[in-house]
Amino acid sequence: MNSVAIAGGLFGPPQTISKEAGSLNTAVGYRYHEDTYKNHADYVLRQNQIYSQVAYGAYKRWEIYGRIGLSDLKIFDAFRSTDVSTTTSKDHFEENWKFFGTLGAKGFYPITSIFGVGAFLQGSYTFGKFTDETAGIHNTTPFAADLEVKNLWDVNFGIGFQANVPFGIKLYGGPYVYYAEADARFSDNIPGLPFGTEKTLLKNKSAVGGFFGADIPLAKGFRLNIEGQYTDRFSFGSAISYTY
Amino acid sequence: MRYYLLLIILFMTLAAVYAPVHCVAAEPEQVPTDAVSFQPVLPVQTGDVPAKSSTQPADVVSDEYDEEDDFDYEDEPFAEERVTIADPIEPFNRVMHRVNDRMYFRLLKPVAQGYKAVVPEPARISVKNFFSNMGYPARFLSCLLQADFSGAAVETGRFAINTLWGIGGLMDPAAGEELGLRKQDTDLGQTLGVYGVGHGLYIVWPFFGPSSPRDSISLVGNQFLSPLSYFYPWYVSPGVIGIQVINATSLRIGEYESLIGAAIDPYVAMRNAYIQYRMKEVNARKAKSLLFKSSEASHPVADTTSRTEN
Repeated sequence: MNSVAIAGGLFGPPQTISKEAGSLNTAVGYRYHEDTYKNHADYVLRQNQIYSQVAYGAYKRWEIYGRIGLSDLKIFDAFRSTDVSTTTSKDHFEENWKFFGTLGAKGFYPITSIFGVGAFLQGSYTFGKFTDETAGIHNTTPFAADLEVKNLWDVNFGIGFQANVPFGIKLYGGPYVYYAEADARFSDNIPGLPFGTEKTLLKNKSAVGGFFGADIPLAKGFRLNIEGQYTDRFSFGSAISYTY
Repeated sequence: MRYYLLLIILFMTLAAVYAPVHCVAAEPEQVPTDAVSFQPVLPVQTGDVPAKSSTQPADVVSDEYDEEDDFDYEDEPFAEERVTIADPIEPFNRVMHRVNDRMYFRLLKPVAQGYKAVVPEPARISVKNFFSNMGYPARFLSCLLQADFSGAAVETGRFAINTLWGIGGLMDPAAGEELGLRKQDTDLGQTLGVYGVGHGLYIVWPFFGPSSPRDSISLVGNQFLSPLSYFYPWYVSPGVIGIQVINATSLRIGEYESLIGAAIDPYVAMRNAYIQYRMKEVNARKAKSLLFKSSEASHPVADTTSRTEN
């Protein structure tokens, strides 16, 4: 079994940015995500995600949200052969934009007017499948085959601590746990290549990470959210939100 | 289809031949502020416009006002605005008016009422916002052609904000108090009007309602510029446009009834309301155009388009 981390976007500040009486807020965001998985070798996975989010929150205590977005996928060395008798035209698996959706909910409890603590639960699923093809030679016999990665989903649960600092800025951070998996299948069994015709279940290697970020008010109801996440590798993202 | 094209050519020819024939519309008390550029059926375009009706034949009315052509309106800046349009194909228009009227009461209104009963108003407003957002290319191009560059910028800002933060255009945060980017209610017909192109003659299209050769160009151009016209397979676009029409009608049920209910001659009332409404829109656009703004300022009630369209 291989392991991989495929997470679905920013977590945001623990406290909703919706109005106290209850209102919608929307956002557009981008996230650069990297992680590693290890089994026979270390592989690096990379995703660029862009998404649109709609959320509803109230009382400055709770929020539910949904996202729809596009994500690419790159798995480094997915086609790299470990057998000298096999050579491939390229080493990396790479596929462009596929739709993904995210649902989440968060709750917040203000301890003082400055500090508070909250928790969130967030899950994502990528629709469709990522595929990429490689060609090569095995023992002087040419071959062409493709790798298919599908059913990518993840679920994250975290606890966030928030501090309200001057100028309406919210600083936050905390630990989170997550689980992610995806199915990978190669169209042929080629000696030396890491995937075969048997379905391979990819799972996250490290289950725990940390996140930190800032939510900064801009003008005319817009806010800027910047966030970093760390598991095996560093990921970061940014979103601009608007409160109705 | 061939007959349809022949009819259009015939109308254009008639516009040139009969243009000096006028009908006069009275000043409406109220002008709709949010008409969709697409005219599904009469009420969508005209809105709640009480109009003084006239049952006189077009020629009699035009003769009456022909005697007043020498009157110098420019000297009286607050004189009542008079709007004229030729109506040489009135018999045909009256038939089409009746057809549209029947279609509205027997088909569109019942469907829209059913739709209204099922879909809550916020959702219908969101659908309206979505279709309005899709109309961005036509409004943007119209603003550019009218030399209203600030309007073009506003439209672009609205499109970006509403698409990104308005859930693909379902919401309209750009028009909120904080941003204040109001929709530039313009189309290609108004663009022609800004440059002095007159209506030509009054035409009532089946299904599309009141129009003129000038505004018919707008009707075609706006559809050509709408992304909704490019769905594949072909039959998806008419379906989507049908939803747009039903949704818009569901938000305006009662307006058309008010207009024709108060009129002695609904056809004349509709014609007057239409021409008044379009004239006010063109004048509003002229006031925003860099090319015409200064001349408009020196002539507060200038109505050159409507008075020179012959």
